[in-house]
Parts: sequence; C-alpha cells; structure tokens
Amino acid sequence: MSGMDAIRTDLGVAWAIARKDALSELRGRQAAGSTLFFAALVLLLFGFALGPDTRRLTEAAPGLLWLAIVFGGLLTVARLHQLETEDGALDELARYPVERRAIYLGKAIAGLGAMLVLGGVLLPVVAILYGIDLLGAAPALVLALVLGSIGFAAVGTFYAGVTVRLRAREVMLPLLMLPVIAPLLLAAVKATAAALGGDPLGELASWLQLLAGYDLVMLLAGAAGYGFLLEE
Amino acid sequence: MPQTTIYSAPPRSPLVPIPAVATRDVARLFGRSAALAGVSLEVERGRMVAFLGPNGAGKTTLLRILATSLRPTFGTAHVDGIDVAERPELVRPRVAYLSHATGLYDELTAAENLRFAATMLRRSNPADAATHALAEVGLEADGARRVRGFSAGMRRRLALGRLLLGAPSLVLLDEPHAALDAEGAALVDRLLDQWRDGGTTVLVATHQADRITRLADGWARLDAGVVVELGGAGVTLPAAAPAPIPEPATATAER
Repeated sequence: MSGMDAIRTDLGVAWAIARKDALSELRGRQAAGSTLFFAALVLLLFGFALGPDTRRLTEAAPGLLWLAIVFGGLLTVARLHQLETEDGALDELARYPVERRAIYLGKAIAGLGAMLVLGGVLLPVVAILYGIDLLGAAPALVLALVLGSIGFAAVGTFYAGVTVRLRAREVMLPLLMLPVIAPLLLAAVKATAAALGGDPLGELASWLQLLAGYDLVMLLAGAAGYGFLLEE
Repeated sequence: MPQTTIYSAPPRSPLVPIPAVATRDVARLFGRSAALAGVSLEVERGRMVAFLGPNGAGKTTLLRILATSLRPTFGTAHVDGIDVAERPELVRPRVAYLSHATGLYDELTAAENLRFAATMLRRSNPADAATHALAEVGLEADGARRVRGFSAGMRRRLALGRLLLGAPSLVLLDEPHAALDAEGAALVDRLLDQWRDGGTTVLVATHQADRITRLADGWARLDAGVVVELGGAGVTLPAAAPAPIPEPATATAER
C-alpha cells in the first residue's frame, strides 16, 4: 500500500469512528446535555463568586471560560471512551485490522467535535454573564478556541485511553491530564484575553503559535503511543 | 491480505503443512493466578475443534490470546504460522472472534453496527455487506432498530452477523450457543457447517460438550489451565511437546 493509500485508509477509519461516536453521543442526549449544563453552571457560579464588579468579571472571563471548557471537556473525553467499555466494545475495536493511529485519530476527532460544541455554547454564555463583546474579537477568539480544543482533544483522548480500564478512572483522568494541559491552558487563556482585549501588546500571534505547536506535538505523541493502551 | 509469514516455531519439513493454530507452552498470568499454565497443541487447517472444560479451565483465555486480545505471559502462539504476540497486525485480518461480550454499540441501530464493522474490516461496500449479514442471521426486519432495545439473543445473533463480514481463515467462538433459542442455536450450527465446508478452521470453546462434539472433528479438554485430554481428528500435540497431564481422577486411581 502506498503512503497516500495508507493515509486515505487511516482517514476513512478515523472518520467512521468519529461518526459512530458522534451518533452515540447525540442519541444519548442526556449525557451531552448534562455536560453542557454543568459547564454553564460553573460559569454562573464563578460569576456569583466574583460579584457584580463588571471590570473584574471581564478580566477573569478568559480564565473562567477555559476552566469551564476544561471541566466539561474532561467529562466529554472520558465519556467517549466509556462508550467502548459497554459490552466489550473496546476489545472489539482493538481487534479490527486497522492502524492504531487511525483509532486514536477517530477518537480525537470525535473529542474535538464535542469540544467545539461545548466552546460554541459557552462563549455566548460568557458574553451574557460577564458582559463581553464577542463580535469584535470573533476571528481570533474562534481560532484560539479551535487550537485549544485540538490540543485538549489530543491529550484527553490519550489519557482517556490510559484510564479507561481503571476502576478509579473518573479520578485518575484529571489527575494525569491536568498537569499535561497546563501549558495549553496558559496559552489558551492568554490568547483569549489578547483576542478579547484587542491585542494591545501584539502577543496574540505568539500564543496562537504556541498552541499550534503544542497541538502538533501532542497529536504525534498520542498517535504514536495510543496503540500500547489497547493492549491488555 | 498480507502474504508475509513469520514462523518461529520449531523447523519442520516443507512437505508438512503449517498448522492453522500452533501453541507452545502458552501461559497467561493474571496477577498471581494462572489462567493458562502451559498449553501446547496444534490444529490442522480446515478443522473444527472444540475446547471443552469447566468454567475457569482457560478456554476463553486461550481464544483471547489467539484473537490477539491478550498477550501470552510465557510461550508462543501462532495462527497460520504468524506469531500472535510478535505480529498481531498480520493475525487480525485472518481471525474472527465471537466473545462472551457482543462488542455492540447500544445507541446505533443493528445496521449501523454492522456497517461500522464492515468499514473497519475494509469491505468495499459496507452497506451491502451489512444488509447481507443481517439477512443471514435473521435480523433483516430489525436493521433500523437501536441495539439498546435488543434481547440478549438478538444481540448474540447480531454479533454472529459481524463474523460474516470478513473473510477469516480462523473463526473463534466462545460459547456460541449461549443466550440463543432453538432457532438461534440452529443458526449457529448452520454457520459452523458453512465455515467448515468453506475450509475455515473453527475453534469453539464450550462447556456444552454434547452439542459441539457432534459437529466437531476433534476436541481438547482443558482443566486448570492445561490440556488434560485430546480426542478425535485435527488437534494434536506438537512434536516433542510433553504429554498431557493425566486427569486427577485417573492419576489417583493409578497410584
């Protein structure tokens, strides 16, 4: 099989897995709905905790937005792997004669889709609760959201694979994953703040580049290491 | 299917065909307990062989090792001459495995489950393959229903349908008649005949010896992780492998 054929085959497999996960997620609406509600609730509670000072809320908005995305995202990537634990589906998935990197990519694409929906819902919530003008910052904000979500999905898919067979997976996933996404969280918050603030220091591009680099490294590392996680 | 074969078992004459399955001293530990404690046997190509024995004998573990779901802790296992631990990616296209769990997705319909499996098995037309497999297992009228609403027997049938999507040279079945009514059990028997007539090697793990031994060419009885008895045709000990350990009852009587 030539290199292009192999890539085409991998992408076909990845798309099939992502589509399957998306269908399962959409049809199991309860779980997806409760994740969105939980993340929105986090934003609301932070808003109450910070009080009615508009300036304070505006300054804190980028960090709180990404914290809510991280909390909701943890639930999302964990659930995408828990789908596979029902009735031995993970073993079945691992037995298909396909490349492990294609399975990882499919799960990461499904995670990315879910993260983008989460971000898409939370952005207007932040705008309403914290009084932020999204329209002026839209292109840069969307770019920061997409790059941050790619990185989160790349790391989350890998660590959800690490923890999926563990009994204490709900605890272990954030414990293992949060230290690794610290650089991503920092860059995403800085990029979002720069986008919302009109980028007075001209630092937006640097943070976006850092996010893109992080995404690339994590995707490559995840694709290379994911196969070992499917072994028992 | 890749043509590369890596056969690291003891050298044999080129006139002797490579067995469909060959295991040498295969052991598998879970913590400190041994599910398999050194299984050595060979199965001829195109044969149907039953693995018999009580619960905990190691039948499922052996099938899972051959299906590449588990790695042996010690020993080697080969399928069509390929080491399952060294080159699982070459073994997977050759093996179809029906385990205790069905591996189905509850929120997908029966047809969507099979279409997904057909895509993963790289069938050129997954939709047609899924429709055909649904008809084969008598679920054509339920193709648009979500699996969440299926009974245990229907799930089992659907999992059997998934086995029909590939072109395996080795089919591994773990308690294939479990959860099935008389009609479903007859379906399993028909599929077993179909595979055997097509020259596919079939290994069936069961503790329902009566039903399977009527259909199988040979059988191997396992107990406590070792082969204690071989019978019929198609399954043998490898050359220079130790003889099976006598059953405890026999050993006591001889003393």
